Amino acid sequence: MIETIYIEKKIKNHPRADFILSKFKKARLIEIDRYSEIFNKRNQNFKIQKSRPDLILAHKESGLVLPTPDGFGIGNSKNFYFSHMYNCIYDCRYCFLQGMYSSANYVIFVNFEDFDNALEKVIRENEGSKMTFFSGYDCDSLALENVTGFAKHILGLFRKYPKIDLEFRTKSLQKEPFISVKNMDNIIIAYSLMPDIISSALDNKTPTIAKRIDNMTNLASKGWKIGLRFDPLIHGKDWKELYQELLETVFKSIPLSAIHSVSLGSLRFPKQMFKDILKLYPEEKLFSGPLFNNSGVVSYDQEIEAEMTSFCTKLINKHIDKSRIFKCSI
Amino acid sequence: MTKNDIINLHSIRWVVALKEEAKTIIELYRMKIIDGRNLYPIYKSFDGTHWLIVSGMGKQNAAAATAYLYSVSSASDSASWINLGIAGCGIGKYGDLCLVDKISDNSLQNRYPITIPKINLPRMALFTTDVPMNDYSSKELIDMEGIAFYEIASKLTSNEFICLMKVISDGPQNNIKALNRTKIIDLIDLNIRDIKTIVSYYEKLSHFDFLKKRKPRLFDVLISKWHFSVTQRHKLESLLRRVETFLPDNNVLEVLNDCKKASSVLSVLDLKIKKNEVDWSHS
Repeated sequence: MIETIYIEKKIKNHPRADFILSKFKKARLIEIDRYSEIFNKRNQNFKIQKSRPDLILAHKESGLVLPTPDGFGIGNSKNFYFSHMYNCIYDCRYCFLQGMYSSANYVIFVNFEDFDNALEKVIRENEGSKMTFFSGYDCDSLALENVTGFAKHILGLFRKYPKIDLEFRTKSLQKEPFISVKNMDNIIIAYSLMPDIISSALDNKTPTIAKRIDNMTNLASKGWKIGLRFDPLIHGKDWKELYQELLETVFKSIPLSAIHSVSLGSLRFPKQMFKDILKLYPEEKLFSGPLFNNSGVVSYDQEIEAEMTSFCTKLINKHIDKSRIFKCSI
Repeated sequence: MTKNDIINLHSIRWVVALKEEAKTIIELYRMKIIDGRNLYPIYKSFDGTHWLIVSGMGKQNAAAATAYLYSVSSASDSASWINLGIAGCGIGKYGDLCLVDKISDNSLQNRYPITIPKINLPRMALFTTDVPMNDYSSKELIDMEGIAFYEIASKLTSNEFICLMKVISDGPQNNIKALNRTKIIDLIDLNIRDIKTIVSYYEKLSHFDFLKKRKPRLFDVLISKWHFSVTQRHKLESLLRRVETFLPDNNVLEVLNDCKKASSVLSVLDLKIKKNEVDWSHS
């Protein structure tokens, strides 16, 4: 439950801010000038804030749509990302957000129309190129959809551009707005997956893997395209059996025709981020595994990475053509 | 457990403007005044976990006393810092205890203390004034120290470890001139149960933070056995932390038995991690 909402003075009369505030009638409201007065300041503790995060409603001024780093993509030549929100309601131990921000409060940007304009500008500037836009880089795209209504809003824009792909990345069971609007071929609803016992240990506050698979199956049956994201791949005892079981379950449940793409990524952190996260969670089992500094990036040994990627790719390739399998290398 | 460990079991630093505001707290945590020539009166609990300074009124006193207490008490960055006192209020009820979630003064910049404790108390904005005010109309809480305390405390620890609590003592219906020594003591007394609940939250916070930051259990044993350079000590700390999560202390010592020098210790620990297959079924 959100107890305090900080709101930038500039948007205190914004209808979308009103809509969001109406969901938290008991919350205390504090006016601020800029969200940066509260968010990600020095001397804040992500872990403690995560125990009771507050909400910040803000106006995003710049950097609304950005190119993705090299190595991030699902087949198209141009890739961009945008975030209507910073931080996530879930608490996954491998998540880079816990090392990126010192603050666990949720920031929601309410000026969706500015995102529309920025997206359309990028689309115009790259006309003729095959493009994918990624939502949910700094948050879970759909987990707070009932509060923000962002996915519903942005679907309207992408309906005008059927050749431009948009991916929502989520672990949530959110079905709206997808079940109440006509399906679109250029939308990918991508789910992060890992073997159930690993997810139970690392994905805090998230729906179980079985429930995520149920949700995907349901949306697939309504004609939506599904993305399978095995990112990060997590090493441990019996990892082969665990991933084999997971992949079998997934491919048994979801019609192959509904699968847009599959991507795999290794567990990796920039060196300083790993140090910061280890300080927050020194007793975390994940960090007792064979993770080492490889040229400034903390990851599993190359041998382990290669073996895991190759093993899973082979299993996936039994069901999905290689052209739809991608390795995320950032 | 070392003396340092006991002190840091939980560590609370109080900054209070008036002796009357401090009286109940001093008694509750059985604090005694520290002998010696101190700039401000300082009290300490018998086990060293609670320290309290009586700053006197005003921003300069609050800032100086906070910094002074930090230095005298050797507070670690796991210590929680609490400012307790009475405050004027334009909207609240006389005698109510409030947590402060926004602080301002006549400067342009506001501060936003983080109010994490789960307790059903009003949260209010605090205005710190340089001179006593009796126009309460546009303010929630009014005091003369809060912002200065917060400015200094936030340099000493993470913001989540700082708490400002105010008891409403005067307002449009309660003339500030009617306040006296006994009434101030009573106002704090009246809220002692809630104050204790809040303090216990900060005690736990401080305790868990201390445990988290503490050197790994075998660190001291190993550095007394082998000579580690400063860089090697950092590496040892990081590796030990990770090894201790899956290997009991005896086993760690056993595998290091044949090591002749510090670099071999690090290599052996490195290898242990490299070979560790996390068993996710026991989570």
